[in-house]
Amino acid sequence: MTSILSLIARRIFVSVAILVIVSALLFCILRRLPVDPAAMSLPPNATLAEIEAKRHEMGLDLPLFRQYLIWLGQVAYGDLGISIHFRRGVAGLITSTLPATIELAVLAMLIAGALGIAGGLFMFHVRGTAREAVADAGSIALLSLPEFLWGLFFILLFGVALELLPFTGRLSSGFERPVITGFLLLDTLLMRRLDMFWDALKHMILPSLALGLAFSPTIMRVLRSSLIDVYQEDYIHQARLRGLSERRILVHHALKNAILPTLSLMGVQFGFLFGGTLLIEVIYSYPGLGNLMVDAVRNADLPIIQAVGLAYCVVVLAINTVVDALYVVLNPKLRVT
Amino acid sequence: MGLLVARDLTVSASLDGGRVPVIRDLSFTLKAGKMLGLVGESGAGKSMVGRTVAQLLPSGFAVSGGSLVFSEANLVTMEPEARRALLGREIAFIPQEPLSALNPVLTIRTQFDEHLARIGVAAGDRRPRMLELFDAVHLPHAADLLRRYPHQLSGGMCQRVLIAFAFASKPKLVIADEPTTALDVTIQARIVRLIAEMQERENTAVVFITHDLRLAAQVCDDILVLYAGRAVEYGPARQVFATSGHPYTRCLQLANPAMSGKRRGLYALPERMPGLRAWNGIKGCAFAPRCPNVIEDCTRAMPPLVEVGPNHAAACIRADKTARIAAPALVPAAEPRQTAPVLEVSGLGKRFVAGGLLRRSEVAALSDVGFSLHENEFIGIVGESGSGKSTLARLIVGLETPSQGRIAIAGHDASHPDFDEHRRRHVQMVFQDPQSALNPRRRVASIVTQPLEAAGVATWEERLARADLLLGEIGLPPEAAMRFPQQLSGGQRQRVNIARALCAVPRILIADEIVSGLDVSVQAQLLNLLAALRRERQFSMLFISHDLSVVRHLCDRVLVMYRGEVVESGPTEQVFAAPAHEYTRMLLAAVPPDDPAEVWQGLHA
Amino acid sequence: MSARPTWLRSGRVLFGLAIVIAIALIALAAPLLAPHEPNEQNLISIFLPPAWANGGDAAFPLGTDSLGRCVLSRLIYGARVAMMVAIVASLGAMLIGAVLAHIAGYFGGWIDWLVGRTVDVWMSFPPVILSLILMVGLGIGLRNVILAIVLVDWTRFCRVLRSEVLVVRRRDYVAAARLVGFSHWRTITREILPSTMPLTITLLSLEMGIAVIVEAILSFVGMSVGANTPAWGQMIADARQYIYDSPWNLVFPILMIFITVLGFNVLGDGLRRALDVRLTETRRA
Repeated sequence: MTSILSLIARRIFVSVAILVIVSALLFCILRRLPVDPAAMSLPPNATLAEIEAKRHEMGLDLPLFRQYLIWLGQVAYGDLGISIHFRRGVAGLITSTLPATIELAVLAMLIAGALGIAGGLFMFHVRGTAREAVADAGSIALLSLPEFLWGLFFILLFGVALELLPFTGRLSSGFERPVITGFLLLDTLLMRRLDMFWDALKHMILPSLALGLAFSPTIMRVLRSSLIDVYQEDYIHQARLRGLSERRILVHHALKNAILPTLSLMGVQFGFLFGGTLLIEVIYSYPGLGNLMVDAVRNADLPIIQAVGLAYCVVVLAINTVVDALYVVLNPKLRVT
Repeated sequence: MGLLVARDLTVSASLDGGRVPVIRDLSFTLKAGKMLGLVGESGAGKSMVGRTVAQLLPSGFAVSGGSLVFSEANLVTMEPEARRALLGREIAFIPQEPLSALNPVLTIRTQFDEHLARIGVAAGDRRPRMLELFDAVHLPHAADLLRRYPHQLSGGMCQRVLIAFAFASKPKLVIADEPTTALDVTIQARIVRLIAEMQERENTAVVFITHDLRLAAQVCDDILVLYAGRAVEYGPARQVFATSGHPYTRCLQLANPAMSGKRRGLYALPERMPGLRAWNGIKGCAFAPRCPNVIEDCTRAMPPLVEVGPNHAAACIRADKTARIAAPALVPAAEPRQTAPVLEVSGLGKRFVAGGLLRRSEVAALSDVGFSLHENEFIGIVGESGSGKSTLARLIVGLETPSQGRIAIAGHDASHPDFDEHRRRHVQMVFQDPQSALNPRRRVASIVTQPLEAAGVATWEERLARADLLLGEIGLPPEAAMRFPQQLSGGQRQRVNIARALCAVPRILIADEIVSGLDVSVQAQLLNLLAALRRERQFSMLFISHDLSVVRHLCDRVLVMYRGEVVESGPTEQVFAAPAHEYTRMLLAAVPPDDPAEVWQGLHA
Repeated sequence: MSARPTWLRSGRVLFGLAIVIAIALIALAAPLLAPHEPNEQNLISIFLPPAWANGGDAAFPLGTDSLGRCVLSRLIYGARVAMMVAIVASLGAMLIGAVLAHIAGYFGGWIDWLVGRTVDVWMSFPPVILSLILMVGLGIGLRNVILAIVLVDWTRFCRVLRSEVLVVRRRDYVAAARLVGFSHWRTITREILPSTMPLTITLLSLEMGIAVIVEAILSFVGMSVGANTPAWGQMIADARQYIYDSPWNLVFPILMIFITVLGFNVLGDGLRRALDVRLTETRRA
């Protein structure tokens, strides 16, 4: 237990270091932009002198390094700046959109994990039979469909053609959006509004399924090949020689080992998946971090781009920490005793 | 009636569209409480017997004839579920690689518990039973051990755990497949002793599979020698050893260097056992092409097993001539020259840093090692794994930098400005595992002439010509030059490995365990090759090995290493005859004696 | 012994190659194949369905979009952007990634530490987000798309190849090469590179598929080559706004992306099997 806590402490330390570096990189990249935040935050009829004064007020005439330090100092106090376009605090914008994205990503991860593990077991089960080629071809085809193509395809099929499920936003019109935690599924349950919970869930089915499906084939393929590797191991042979049943060998011996490489892959995959929410949110007009980001990009809203970029990083690092901790829990070789 | 009876058992494999018998017409009878040794070189089919008992054959392999009867039930025709019921209960296995035979993510307790549950021990009785069994296999701190994971135990401890597993159900039959090969010498003897002890206690029958005829003769009641899938000799252990009926058995003995008495030459069988693909084409005796007693009749028909003594049979039509096969005379090597040493090592130490930034700790792999190597002298370095042998070798060739001490090569040490260049010219290393030491993407000619490539002056034609010379010198046919390493046998690869080191004409050769893992007959070929090279070229060698008999055969002097230190050194004969250090005595006692009639100290101590 | 190397005898490799070569040829011969100028607008015939459907026009085999532009022509010209990005960006990413991986894995020590931590920093960004931000900084245009993908995806090569180099580096033949006097450069190029080549080639093929997807994503959000150059992602973005008017316009570019990526993936999978590459960590845009 202590080793896991120390791992998490170490990961948090490393993560903070990474965030500082990442934010500096972001700062440099974004300052290359040929736009002037000062001019943008003033009405179009502002004079050059007014713009110059604004530049000074915003600290844009300072050296880049100083500007960065000032920004970093503000971030440390939770001040992420003011959006040029929305004229609202960036921190508030993020706290109102981040839960939506996390909710979507978590649902998608559950789907990807469940499909991936089920598919991997199936592919392992049919190895050496005629069905293997079919399963294999299927998994490569799945691998070639990125999440946004799935998203569009689902809209065409379930939204437009079959009209089974909604495909815009988080809630149907007519529902008042509750704000308790920001996590809609959780909030509706807390309010005991099952009808609203159901409506919110229906809105999330297509986007999370699109994401989950796109990320499941990699998990399938890794689980399959890990299982094949594990079955070459001597301890599986010895378990058979002790007369254990095949079922017990699979569940008790093989899976517990094969899940390790699968898990470390999932860590990387879930980081990618979290990035995948961006497109899915745009396609489904889902009011999350991704839409905020894309709008900011279109409006060259630097404070938002910078802060949202960091927000993505924070979540990815958090996912990695959780996966690493889980890995240590499942792998006794990494536990100090 | 025996407990395990094989009658004309034949196992075949599908290969290249046809079927090849990997075990042919095997018959034996194992009585309750007896130990049968299955002896043979790798690829002879000995492990296949164990797998046939469990009917867990590799895919493509199947029993194609005969029967294998256990307690009056034919294992071959038995329903799979009925056979599975026997496994772990009536029939148990002891594996070759104890460290990989236990599931790495489960504790010993979980795995033991699973096994006890399977053999029907009630939940409440399991823990006391575990402690009792651990006590029987001499594992101390049993309660603590149960909480551990396999990677926290040593190989020897894992093997004891597995032996406890095997005997937990008081099985009638235990199959031990090379149970000591992966372990250190001193542990080897203890594990063999433990198996014998448990066998006696539970009156279990044991099939002991091994490549070591001497070991089998020491511990088994009967021995069955396999060659190319057939039994070539079968009989009581002492007789098979003392009055071998088959030339192969005799040659195996003569290929093994002696541990006592005068040094003798090694009988090196030519070529090697035919590979599986060739077995179908063999008309007569499979051993005939290598047999010193071969006559024309040998290649006509497969010789049947004929009685050569009481309960003792051999598959040879000239069994009466077998005893005439004798080891060649030992050709004496030139004496080491007592001039200035070519290699001088003094106060050499190496510490490795372990752990991360915070909990940094230093581990001493080597401390205060000193010796000197003279021209044309062979020094053997013996010790168990972790004794620092390989670290010493890597320090001398320059793959690691010493933490302290001095290495001087032909008079120059690290203070010399061109020491690295100087060292490269004079010292070469032969690595242990040719699989890893030979780049699989290079042809043999390109590998053996790598030193020329490094110099960057030779043309490909010049390199081919040099390769041709080198291959001749190490006894490979010229056509091997254009092969890739994986197209060669293990012994041939090791020759290529040696040839590359010789190409640069070094004065000092460092050989790290270069004959371990090879079959006895191939080992004898290589040892004879090294002796011949020593006569033809003038060079000195540091010969690192865990096998004392090999060192005794080849080396003038010996260094015994233990935990990074040299605990004893001196002329080989003298150290082996009268060891001064306790550890040397222990090492020597762990080797089974040449004559099975002698008492093996390691087994009874 | 056949004259054809084993990897060319694999059905998967041939199938993948066939798709990839076909699309590359379409891209090269776009001016010859396309029935119309890709940006030519026919405002009287907008949202035409494909020629075979009701109301289709044979002059526009796959119909027209919201501005009456020929969908087939735009698809054909879109292949140019996709293939250009796939090939150039992947090669660039491979070059940077492979060079760093070999240097880091071979020399170890602080170089390895530095490269490893750099990869960690990169990996803390979802690739889509990082490339989008880079595009914001660099500005739109084909060259910048390629540059952004190279800057994001070199880590995919570096991470996987570095661990492969570490494995090969531990082989005794690398030590043996040093002992007979090989320089570091010669040891890397003659002893290590041949062993890591199959993995590099396999990764390259998979990366090309990823590059196609990333370009499509960027052009979907309007941060790729600009509105005047036809690109598949852009076509999808346009079609999405008129999803009820003409669902066909959405289907065709989706199919093209799928087929192209499938081609690279099948090729990569075939190469992996044929060249006997162990690949546990795979991919995803």
